[in-house]
Amino acid sequence: MPSSASASVSASVSVSVSASASSTTTSGPHSDLLTRLTSSESEVQLKALRELKNRIIGNRTKKLSFIKLGLVPPVAAILASKAQVQAQAQAQAHHDSNLLVQSAAALGSFACGFDAGVRAVLDAGVFPNLFLLLSHPDDKVVDAGARSLRMIYQSKLAPKCDFLQEKNMEFLLSLLNSENENVTGLGASIIIHSCESTAEQKALCHAGVVKKLISLLEGSLSQRDNSLESLATVMKNNVEAVSEFVGSESGRALSSVIELTKDRYPRTRLLASMCLIVIRNTSACYLQDIGIKTKLVHLLLELHDDPGQVGDEAPFAFSSLISEKPDLQKLAFEANAIDKLYNHLQKSQLYPKRFQGILLALADLCSKLESCRSRFLSLQALNLVSDALTHDSSDVRTAACMCLRCVSRSIKNLCAGNFLNEMIVPPLVRLLDDPSTSVQVAAISVIGNIAVDFTMRRSLFVQCGGVKQLVQLSKSMDSTVRLNALWALRNMMFLADNVFKEGIFMEFTASSLASVICDPEPFVQEQALALIRNLVDGCIKSVDLVFTEDGMILDAVGRQLQNASTDEIWIQGMHVLSNVASGTEFHKEAVMHQLIPQEDNGTQSFILKFLQSNESQLRTAAVWAIVNLTFPSSPGSFSRLVKLHSAGIVSQIKSMVHDPCPDVKLRVRTALGQFTTFGDCST
Amino acid sequence: MSLFWIVVHQLAEIEAMTASKKVITREEWEKKLKDVKIKKEDMNKLVMNFLVTEGYVDAAEKFRKESGTEPDIDLATITDRMAVKKAVQCGNVEDAIEKVNDLNPEILDTNPQLFFHLQQQRLIELIRNGKVEEALEFAQEELAPRGEENQSFLEELERTVALLAFEDVSNCPVGELLDISQRLKTASEVNAAILTSQSHEKDPKLPSLLKMLIWAQNQLDEKAAYPRINDLSTAMLEDPTV
Repeated sequence: MPSSASASVSASVSVSVSASASSTTTSGPHSDLLTRLTSSESEVQLKALRELKNRIIGNRTKKLSFIKLGLVPPVAAILASKAQVQAQAQAQAHHDSNLLVQSAAALGSFACGFDAGVRAVLDAGVFPNLFLLLSHPDDKVVDAGARSLRMIYQSKLAPKCDFLQEKNMEFLLSLLNSENENVTGLGASIIIHSCESTAEQKALCHAGVVKKLISLLEGSLSQRDNSLESLATVMKNNVEAVSEFVGSESGRALSSVIELTKDRYPRTRLLASMCLIVIRNTSACYLQDIGIKTKLVHLLLELHDDPGQVGDEAPFAFSSLISEKPDLQKLAFEANAIDKLYNHLQKSQLYPKRFQGILLALADLCSKLESCRSRFLSLQALNLVSDALTHDSSDVRTAACMCLRCVSRSIKNLCAGNFLNEMIVPPLVRLLDDPSTSVQVAAISVIGNIAVDFTMRRSLFVQCGGVKQLVQLSKSMDSTVRLNALWALRNMMFLADNVFKEGIFMEFTASSLASVICDPEPFVQEQALALIRNLVDGCIKSVDLVFTEDGMILDAVGRQLQNASTDEIWIQGMHVLSNVASGTEFHKEAVMHQLIPQEDNGTQSFILKFLQSNESQLRTAAVWAIVNLTFPSSPGSFSRLVKLHSAGIVSQIKSMVHDPCPDVKLRVRTALGQFTTFGDCST
Repeated sequence: MSLFWIVVHQLAEIEAMTASKKVITREEWEKKLKDVKIKKEDMNKLVMNFLVTEGYVDAAEKFRKESGTEPDIDLATITDRMAVKKAVQCGNVEDAIEKVNDLNPEILDTNPQLFFHLQQQRLIELIRNGKVEEALEFAQEELAPRGEENQSFLEELERTVALLAFEDVSNCPVGELLDISQRLKTASEVNAAILTSQSHEKDPKLPSLLKMLIWAQNQLDEKAAYPRINDLSTAMLEDPTV
């Protein structure tokens, strides 16, 4: 047969193979497994257990279908019935050990890397019985029990172990002190899974766990890896544990971890570097020399090349190394990190976790340094990131947004309109509709960034329905979504022309705007007020907008200024009033109405409180409003000045002539200058 | 290991001279070699490491008795590992899988690539034995779901199933899958995975030392003429041709 024919042959075969895969079932010769597992003859049970184990190991599809067939509870029942060691004849004991080994192995396999399996095993109530196996006289049983428990502890679903209880701590120490490698490994897994709070970290340190873990660094390959990971868990954000570790054995423990970054096993190199990163990030005084920093950068970049799990985890470790640290970002840039990560990104069929990690690493790299962003953009990496916006995995979509957000901090490229194009805006707007909230929030935050300079092509955004979507999202049930949507709209409103502002306003409606100003969450209120502030900044026509529907927006602003209790809200609200006060006589009188209530019920006007505030920005905004209200060429200014005077505001402003903040001082002087053109009404 | 360092040391010395090739006589060379002390126990450990890693359990046992060198692994586990390796080499893949699972169920559960290669070998054996229907059923039931999880597995699966399309496998472009070398490849992959799971290095140290020796000699060749080891099996020093 000519070889050219083979291509079509193999293709057609593959179609039939994958098509039938989904219809694969476990009926037929294996449906009797359930019967055999519940048989009264233990010989039959043993054979069935072994068969079950061999069928599910490595085979996720089988695990799932056997879980659905209800095979986990009978396996758990066999284990539970034999877990208590009884005095018995040797032959019987041997047989029971076999049943325990096989059932524990089967349960462990169900739980291996598979949350549905972990849940099924936990639901079968067999967890405490597995612990009983650890004190079994037969080593093989101990091994099997420890392995299965380790599998369970690798899942988030495993119950937490409370180290603050003395008996749990004793138990953990007994595991770590065991001669059996699987048992010490289990101890490490329990620490990695359960240790979260500082109190728990401290309890572990006081119980001598750090010392024990350091001694395990000398152990076998797996003990070494387990120890490195546990040490990182115990030391994370815990200065006390870090200094105990660094100081122990006069620094030898630290040197041996540094040595392990050169180990021949990639996993060990990764874990050792993660341990060092935790030490660095926790205590700024260690590992600061340029040599070790450069070494870590190069090592982690090199670990990205690993095709397996290590390569999947490397970008996350890299991120934790460089995140928020411009010096390390610079080193990474010099080590060609952008190009290297970009090369990985170009590979087809990236495993989602790796894809996500690389995008996040690029985001961190571009978060602060313009040099990184320029390199990123010059590589045309934006195309790959925009493709990632439509990826199947929501984690990848979120990461792509984060990456875009950091790259779009480049003012130069922002101004050049490099992000506002057909390639990026339409998929971003579609993500506003994403079923995952974290994707929505991430997408909104990119839009907020690139919206700052929308002067050029804002029509593209409107055409895609972006404004409509954002307005909808600002009414979301989720306060984070509301916050981000308002923030994006606020940025979009910044220096926009009146037509565009009006468009957003019509979409929003006055009543909805009034209600977001009164949102239950203070940080949403602040964004809503900032949005209004940008709306009324500039031309008179846009100021008119807040007077529709009987000025309900302005009333809402006034209410917030009266009732809210944070400087941030007051600052934004005061800027709204000050902007409105720059408008017509009608506008100015409306502001006066908010500042000085008609009926004197004895309450002090809030503007007096603001003028006396410790927050200089708030004082600035307040004085600015007064300046706008008393502008000499306006006909009503004099009567307003008289009202302000009798409310005690004029004398307050006079007392501020030596304000420590230059901004405030400048405006106070302007105000005082205006007052004098009317003659000093205080005399 | 020490031999390697001598050569590297020589390299460094010669580097400093830069001039034309230095000639080192046999006498000088042997004197330098004598100055290096290599502990007998270290040599023994190297030998033991080789025997254990390669799975020569009887030889390891004998060597332990004769030299007093303790292996860094329980010799009983070597027997189990060799049984698995042998089963794959003979084409009894199902048997091999069961043995690995008895040894440590984690190995195949956490090593999707190895698991796939073993299942692929099982499929190859079914095809070799002409069990076409069974082979197809096995491919659908066991291998196709793995292919759905991983694109490269799917490609390998397609290649393997293509064997069925040819009556005369000697002409088949994927015929090498039926070679005995495919079995050996799979067997050594399992062997390595078992060793790693036992916290043991998967390759013996000796061959990499020999590789280092060859590398170092090649480096030295550019700088000096010296008594070289050309035949690794005898390790005879051969006089430099000047």
